[in-house]
Amino acid sequence: MKSVLAILTVVVALVGFWYAACVPMNIHEAAMQAQRAGEEVTPAEAPERRHMGRISLALKNTGLWSTVFSQERPQLPAPHQVAQEFWKTTWGMIERGRAFSKRSLILHGWITLSATLLGFAFGTALGIVLAVSIVHSRAMDMSVMPWIIASQTVPILAIAPMIVVVLAALSVDDIVAKGVISMYLSFFPVVVGMVKGLRSPDAMQMDQMKTWNATRAETLWKLRLPSSTPYLFASLKVGVAASLIGAVVAELSLSSNGGLGARLLAGSYYGQTVQIWSALFAAAALAAVLVWAIGVAQKVTLKRMGFAQ
Amino acid sequence: MKTIYGAVLAGAMAMGASVAQAADDVTLQLKWVTQAQFGGYYVALDKGFYEEEGLNVTIKPGGPDVAPAQVIAGGGADVVLDWMPSALASREKGLDLVNIAQPFKSSGMMLTCRKDSGIATPADFKGKTLGVWFGGNEYPFLSWMNKLGYSTDGGEDGVTVLKQGFNVDPILNGQADCVSTMTYNEYWQIIDAGLTPDELVVFKYEDQGVATLEDGIYVIGSNLEDPAFADKMVRFVRASMKGWKWAEENPDDAAMIVLDNDATGAQTEKHQTRMMREIAKLTAGSNGALDVADYERTVQSLLSGGSDPVITKAPEGAWSHAITDKALN
Amino acid sequence: MMAWVFGSLLFWAAAWALNVRLSRLSAPWVRFFVPALFGMTVIIVWEGMVRGFGVNPVLLPAPSAIAATFVGEIPTLWGDLVQTFFKGALSGYVIGCTAGVLTAIAVDRSPFLQRGLLPVGNFVAALPIVGMAPILVMWFGFGWQSKAAVVVVMVFFPMLVNAVEGLRASETMQRDLMHTYAATPGQGLRKLRLPAAMPFIFNGLKICTTLALIGAIVAEFFGSPIKGMGFRISTEVGRLALDMVWAEIVVAAIVGSAFYGAVALAERVITFWHPSQRG
Repeated sequence: MKSVLAILTVVVALVGFWYAACVPMNIHEAAMQAQRAGEEVTPAEAPERRHMGRISLALKNTGLWSTVFSQERPQLPAPHQVAQEFWKTTWGMIERGRAFSKRSLILHGWITLSATLLGFAFGTALGIVLAVSIVHSRAMDMSVMPWIIASQTVPILAIAPMIVVVLAALSVDDIVAKGVISMYLSFFPVVVGMVKGLRSPDAMQMDQMKTWNATRAETLWKLRLPSSTPYLFASLKVGVAASLIGAVVAELSLSSNGGLGARLLAGSYYGQTVQIWSALFAAAALAAVLVWAIGVAQKVTLKRMGFAQ
Repeated sequence: MKTIYGAVLAGAMAMGASVAQAADDVTLQLKWVTQAQFGGYYVALDKGFYEEEGLNVTIKPGGPDVAPAQVIAGGGADVVLDWMPSALASREKGLDLVNIAQPFKSSGMMLTCRKDSGIATPADFKGKTLGVWFGGNEYPFLSWMNKLGYSTDGGEDGVTVLKQGFNVDPILNGQADCVSTMTYNEYWQIIDAGLTPDELVVFKYEDQGVATLEDGIYVIGSNLEDPAFADKMVRFVRASMKGWKWAEENPDDAAMIVLDNDATGAQTEKHQTRMMREIAKLTAGSNGALDVADYERTVQSLLSGGSDPVITKAPEGAWSHAITDKALN
Repeated sequence: MMAWVFGSLLFWAAAWALNVRLSRLSAPWVRFFVPALFGMTVIIVWEGMVRGFGVNPVLLPAPSAIAATFVGEIPTLWGDLVQTFFKGALSGYVIGCTAGVLTAIAVDRSPFLQRGLLPVGNFVAALPIVGMAPILVMWFGFGWQSKAAVVVVMVFFPMLVNAVEGLRASETMQRDLMHTYAATPGQGLRKLRLPAAMPFIFNGLKICTTLALIGAIVAEFFGSPIKGMGFRISTEVGRLALDMVWAEIVVAAIVGSAFYGAVALAERVITFWHPSQRG
């Protein structure tokens, strides 16, 4: 409970700072609108204002400060504008019975979520398979591990369009194409975590398995895999967030079927900054929910398996 | 009872499947996201013109990272929409793209500038910052700059070029003096954002003599030798042109059809209706057949690129009247 | 043509057998040779598949074509690298990491703020960076400044988490010892807690190297002057020059790995005392 007050304080401070930042960010637009409406603006002409700094313009036009919080196309939307848009496209849609209409964030969130979960499943499976083979084969360990690490230096956004085109040429479903990109991002934390986890049983425990004449497969199933569960869950949390980012990135190239990434793109395309921010928050909320869900699974599983706390 | 229901259901589905299979499948890849720029095709789909011709058409919207030429090269589409400069450049790279129809007669491309940047004529571009999209749309711009003799590397005697994102923010917040706009899209976004026409100076590519042909229908040339494919294309072009002419006469209804087909839910009625009306001005005057004089003009404009021409030699076999001859007669 | 395919698969089998043999040795050169051989195998199989199946170069170019483009376009690649990495990624990395460490030191005296900041920061870190990029380009303009801003946003939070963790890493006994020396909090910070935090700080610095380069490239997709790695990648895809795209990717991979390696080297030098560095 101590944390709740701390979190609230930080959130309130951030929101306050956000409101304050709206003033200099939106002041140029406010001045432009005021000038068109024939009101007093200092300086009065657009060419002079063009290269003025935001803060000095804001200080010279304190009368315009109240107008920066409700612009239609703000440079920085005010928190309540984002909240309103978010509400309108989620609960508002549910209330009107149109939870899955094309304008609803719930539909787009669902599209992104399905791709995320598919990619997450692929990535986890691939990660575990790679980790098991790395732990059991020195050749795999020495040859593949460095390349797995190097693979993460390749910018995924660069590859995403190419993967999409190649998979489309092979008549693969769009959701699978998105899943492949998510898999690329989420397999790495799983491999790293599982390798560490599969190697975590100490020498005493490995020796005991030997005294029981356990085969390598039995050691894997009865000792290594159970010991790696805490590491697995820690990696799954990172992996699911990475998978979500992969799905959003993939949707920037495959925007035809909707999804949060497509919404981001459309908002950016039409200069609807409020739409961009509410889609961003939806994505972050989705990530938080997914990580929380894995956290719950982690608690339950580890408790039943007998790990501490 | 259960088995009877099951049998009836299976029978119905089989019949449905066989009916669907009787129609020919065609996949069309658009050049950009779903919008009224492609109204004719959506109209043909919605109003059943494709169905009447026995075609089962799937329309794939494009987007910022989708290159129609790449999609057709990968087999992801049977027919694509592209602008002629980009298609000719791809052709020179070895991709056998052939123009089979040209619904768009005039060019909608313009350079829109802020009056307060001091620009009144193209001579004033020197030393200014101009925005342009890439992804195939930069060729007409580069040709124009070459014709005016401005280098695109910036500096006092050239122009500084920005790769525009997908919106008109650079001109709104003053980062660019001019941005590339289409008469039917970005120009209106600027107006919607609050700039008034008196605050803007507009240079239409048609007026500057550097216009190139825009949205055209392209296929892979070798596929045209297959009579079944060629026949499919004849029916496709016929139905598509029917859709375009319907859209020209009923722009508001066509805009609503486009909106219904927009999966992202991001388009608005106001924007699409306005876009449809502007597009109708560009398709007017074309019945779908490529006017060879227009083609020659485009090729000349691209060849005259000075030190960095878009294409290095006149293309051969880049267009064919074979489909439109059969479709429109 | 199928000869290419079979030949490359044969090479793969032979190379793998060799690797299995070599991995049993423990000579130092083996650690480099085995992954290098694996990498070579991947490239040879790639070349074999592309040539053997006649894959369209517009979809997937052969490694030989990529190498040729790489060598031929070095001036362009270098110019792009300067724009993206040195101007955008590196400046953002320095600013973001410094800000992360300074913030950690600032909230160090207040556990209350730490408890509030970390969960909120977790949420902020979950915002997909690709969404922030167009917003930051809108705010900071098309030049390298917006790319640096994107990198700062990406790098700040992981650095903060690691630095906070690091500042907690000194043991109670050690802090008590400083207390017996009548050290002021500032001296305690400089002489004990910061050095003790170095392993964690370097962990953060290493993670942030890849984030920095990716952030700068991603930001360029949303608006840039006509040079830069992200710009080149996105426009060359549109021009169907995939060999140039792959050449840029190769540059990104090399520079990213070198950057990581440089930070790891610095880590070796500065935290020589830590168990993980003693092998």
